[in-house]
Amino acid sequence: MKAVRWGILALTATLMCATVAQADGDAAAGRHKFYTCVGCHGIPNYNNVYPTYRVPKLGGQNAAYIVAALNEYKSGERSHPTMHAQASTLSDQDIADIAAYLATAPEKKD
Amino acid sequence: MHMNTKMIVLAALGLALAASAHADAPAKPDKLVICAACHGENGVAIMPAYPNLAGQQASYIEHALHAYKSGERKNPIMGAQAGSLSDEDIKQLAAWFSQQPAKDYVPDIDGAAGSK
Repeated sequence: MKAVRWGILALTATLMCATVAQADGDAAAGRHKFYTCVGCHGIPNYNNVYPTYRVPKLGGQNAAYIVAALNEYKSGERSHPTMHAQASTLSDQDIADIAAYLATAPEKKD
Repeated sequence: MHMNTKMIVLAALGLALAASAHADAPAKPDKLVICAACHGENGVAIMPAYPNLAGQQASYIEHALHAYKSGERKNPIMGAQAGSLSDEDIKQLAAWFSQQPAKDYVPDIDGAAGSK
């Protein structure tokens, strides 16, 4: 019986963490915070200068992946001078908001 | 409509759809099965921690795979997978995912909320 109770407690704690992690981002706030990013990511077929490749399309991307990517740029683990500079200015909340915005962002029709 | 006729019409429609889908998409890359385990055969990831690749820019996917392969971009899973890919595999995979029905798109900061 004791084991069952601990099991339920652990399950509840896990579910709470999962809920908190997902509820974090505010898409409306993220839209404002994404303003700087549109200079590259809001222009269809925009090129990264060197090496040359098209900047990734971020609309519809999974929020958890965007959070991981921005944190890697911020820490420098993933190296890209422009993205490191941009991500360095973002707080955890900023990153969560931007990720929430991107996951459900309106699509640019060109 | 008679049952058999219905079946024939449905089968013909199915064939037509399969043929048109085949005409648009590139041939399945040999190494697709490796990527599909997490990113889905059509580039729709099986878990939110993994990125969707459907509709992503081919040149960006190529860049990412080369960066994983060289170790410039570090990720235990991707480093191991990309290490087994040739330049030709990378080209084929990037072309495949970029041409799947798009999950990834350019966001519109001025667009109406919920318009996607």
